[in-house]
Amino acid sequence: MNLDILIPDYVRSFQVYTPSRPDHLLMQEYGTPLLHRLNNNENPLGPPPAAASVIAAFSPARAAIYPSGDSYDLCAALGERFGISPDRFLVGNGSCEVISSVIKAFCQPGDNIITADKTFAVYEWVAGFSGIEARLVPLLDYAFDPQGMLDRIDRKTKILFVCNPNNPTGSCWTNQVLIDFLEKAGEERIVVVDEAYREYVEDPGFPDTIALMDRFPNLVVFRTFSKMYALAGLRCGYLAGTAEVVDMVRRTSVAYSVNVQAQQAALAALSDDAGHIAATRALVKEGKMFLRGVCNNLGLETVGGEGNFLMIKTPINDMLMYRRLMKRGMMVRTMTGFRFPGWIRVSLREMAVMESFAGALEDEIRSIRK
Amino acid sequence: MKQQTTRQKSATTRIPFDMPFLPLAMEFIDKGARGFGYNDRETGGLVLAMEELFSFYVRQAALGSALEIELEDQGYRLALTICFRTANPDMRAFNLTWNVNPDSEESLDMLGPMIAARSVSSLRLDFGSDEQVALHMTRDRDYPPAGAVALPPSGASGTLRLSEPSADDLRHFAAMAVASGAPFIPPFLLRPGMAADMLDAGHLNAILVTSGDWIVGGLLWRPLTDTCLELYGPYLFSDDPDDRMLTLLLDEATGRISHSNCRGFLRRQGPLAGHERFFDFLGDLELSGISGATANNTYYYRQLKEESGGVVYCGGALSTFLGNQYDRLCLPRQVRETVVDHSRLRDASVLAVELEYARSLAIIRPLCAGKDMAANLTAHLNLLRGEGIDNFLVEINTGCFEDTAFAAALEETGFVPRLLIPDAGRGDLVIYDHSDGTLPS
Repeated sequence: MNLDILIPDYVRSFQVYTPSRPDHLLMQEYGTPLLHRLNNNENPLGPPPAAASVIAAFSPARAAIYPSGDSYDLCAALGERFGISPDRFLVGNGSCEVISSVIKAFCQPGDNIITADKTFAVYEWVAGFSGIEARLVPLLDYAFDPQGMLDRIDRKTKILFVCNPNNPTGSCWTNQVLIDFLEKAGEERIVVVDEAYREYVEDPGFPDTIALMDRFPNLVVFRTFSKMYALAGLRCGYLAGTAEVVDMVRRTSVAYSVNVQAQQAALAALSDDAGHIAATRALVKEGKMFLRGVCNNLGLETVGGEGNFLMIKTPINDMLMYRRLMKRGMMVRTMTGFRFPGWIRVSLREMAVMESFAGALEDEIRSIRK
Repeated sequence: MKQQTTRQKSATTRIPFDMPFLPLAMEFIDKGARGFGYNDRETGGLVLAMEELFSFYVRQAALGSALEIELEDQGYRLALTICFRTANPDMRAFNLTWNVNPDSEESLDMLGPMIAARSVSSLRLDFGSDEQVALHMTRDRDYPPAGAVALPPSGASGTLRLSEPSADDLRHFAAMAVASGAPFIPPFLLRPGMAADMLDAGHLNAILVTSGDWIVGGLLWRPLTDTCLELYGPYLFSDDPDDRMLTLLLDEATGRISHSNCRGFLRRQGPLAGHERFFDFLGDLELSGISGATANNTYYYRQLKEESGGVVYCGGALSTFLGNQYDRLCLPRQVRETVVDHSRLRDASVLAVELEYARSLAIIRPLCAGKDMAANLTAHLNLLRGEGIDNFLVEINTGCFEDTAFAAALEETGFVPRLLIPDAGRGDLVIYDHSDGTLPS
C-alpha cells in the first residue's frame, strides 16, 4: 500500500499531538509516589453539586441508549439562560469539536484563518491538517493584537479566532476593543471568540458576546463545560451564533457525538452554578495571589490575567524544569509548544496543593542557583 | 518550517550489477552530473566513487541482481544513491576491514570505499529490509569563499526585528559571519553561495535579526537525524546588552522548531554563556583538527516534547554512564542491567563507517553484533589510523540491542561513553570517543 499517493501533503507533514501518559505510568517513570496535575487548568472543586449528583446517579441502563443527537435539552437550557433560541447553539464533544466544525463549514484549501501565534493551538492545528493556511499574528504585550490581525486579512480570509481571555497569558479584550475589531473586520468573514475561561472573569467591561451577535451576525462564540464547570472528563462544549451561521456549521458536525452523561451533567451544572462559580473564583484568586508572591520572592517573572492559571518564567529551559518538577510530583505545562520557550504554565488549585508546589519550586530554584 | 523540496531534478537507472556494466554506470554518473551543470572536478569525484564502490561491492551482490542508481541535483550538491541486494549471508563483507591487511600495500589497494570516501563530501552505508544495501554519497558543488563585507558599526542601535531571510540575505549573512571572526563556522557558511543554495533546497532554515538597515545577527538549523535538528549560532554582529538578540533568536527558533516533528535540537559549538536558560548541557567532546590543533565542542540539547519515558537494557560501563546521565538530566528512563550472551550472537559483527576527511573523522555505527566485536573494532581503528584518520566516534542507539551489545567491546577497545543525546536515534544516542590515542594491544 502506497500511503504517499493517498495522503495529502498537509496531513503527512502535520505533527501528531502526543497526550501525556496516564498518571500511574508517569509516577512510575519519574519515581514519584504522588502526582499533582497542574497542567490542564482543571477545576479541583469538581463539578457543581447538582452535576455531581447526576453523575453519581447515572444509571448503567442509560448507557445502552443513544444520547440526544443534537443535545436537545441542553440547547434549550442554554437558550433559556442566555435569552435566545435553542437553534442558535451547537453542542460538541468539547469545544475542540466545534472548532473543527467551524473550520470545515467555512474554509476550503486555499483559504486562510487568522489568530495569534501564542494562544490555544487547536485553531492552528485544525487549519493545518485541513489544508488551510493559519496566519499567526504575534501577541502585543502578551495580548491579541487587533490591528495586527486586521492587517493580515485578505480575500481568502474566512475566520479570525480570538481567545478571550487568552490561554496562556490571561489577557482580555474589553467590550469596546471587540466592537472596534468587529466593525473593522467586516461581515465578509467569521469572527470566533473563544471564551473557554469567561466564567473566571469578574471585570464588568468584559464583552457580552451573545448580545453583540444582534449587531454582528458574523460573530461566533465558543464556550466549554471543561473549565469552570469541571466536566473536562465528559467532554462537552458549545458554540453560539446566529441561527443562519449555526445552521451552516451544523452541516459539518457529527450528530450524537456528545454522550448522554455529559449532556445530563452539563444541564445540571447550568442549573446550579452560582455558588460553584463564586467558590472557584475565590480559590483561583487566593491561589494566584499566593503563587505570584512566591514567584516575586524568588525573583521569577510571572504573566497572568484572567483564568485559573499563571505563567512563570524559569531560569532554566522549561522542558528541563518540567522534568525536575515531575520528579517532585508536580506536573506543569511547558510553554515551548505555545511558542513561549522558557516559561511554564501552572494551573491554580486549592491552597494545600499550591503550597506543595511552591515548596518544590523553591527547592528547584535554590538548587539551580547554587 | 520550510519543507524539503521533492525530487524534481533526479536521474535514475537500473542496470545489471556485473563488472561488464561498470563503464555504463560511470558514464551515467558522468553525463548526469554534467547535465545538472556540475564541473569537471565535481563530476570526476563522483565518477571515481562509483568506480571504486562498484568494483568493491559487486562481489557481495546476489548473482544476476540489479544495481539501482539515483543521481539527484539538490542545488548545492549532487546526491548519489546506489542500491543493490546482497545474497551474501556473510555480513562481514560489509566491514571496511574485509580481506584487508593494513600492513600490506597490495591489500590497501583494495580499499574501495575508502578511496571513494576521499573523492566525495560524505559517504554512508545503510542496510534496509529484504537484504537491501544502500550507499549514499554526496559531492558538494565548488563555491568561492566568502568575500569581504562590512559589519555594523559598534554602538549601532535601533529596534530589533526578526526576519526570514531570502537566499540573497543568507548569502550576505554568511559572509558577515565569516567576517566577524566567529570561532565556530560550519563549512556551508564559509561558502556563502552554498548556504544560500541550501536554504533554497529546504535543507537549511534560518532567522535573522535586523536593526535599521543592518543585519545584526542570525541563527540557522538543519536536520541532524530524523528526530533531532542541529542549531548553528546565534551569530551576533553588534553589542547585545541584556542578551536581547540572543534571546530573541533562540526563543523564536525554539518556538518554530517545536511545531516540527523533531523531538529536540542540538548545538555543538563552543560554550554559550547563560546556556541554562535555553539548553540542557550534555558535555564536551574534543576533536583533533587536520592542522593538529584541537577543537572543543560543547554539546547542548533542547528537548521539545514532553518526556514519554523508556527502558534501556544494557550492562557494564554503559549502564553506569546512562544511569548517571539520566539522573543528571532528570530523564525518566529505567536502566535494566543485562548481560549479553555471546554464545547466542552471530560469529561476525558488522560496522558501518561514515568518513569525513575534512575533519579527519570516522563515525562508526554498529550494524550487527557478533562474537568478534572487539576484534572488529580494533581492526577498524588500525585501518582508519593507517588512513590518517585521527578522530573516532562510535554512535549507539539505546533502543537497539544490536547497538548496546557492543558496550563491553567498546570498553575493551578503549572507547569511552562521553555524551548522551536524548531521543536522537532509536531511543537515545550515546556517543563514545577514543580520544586518548592509544590503540588496544
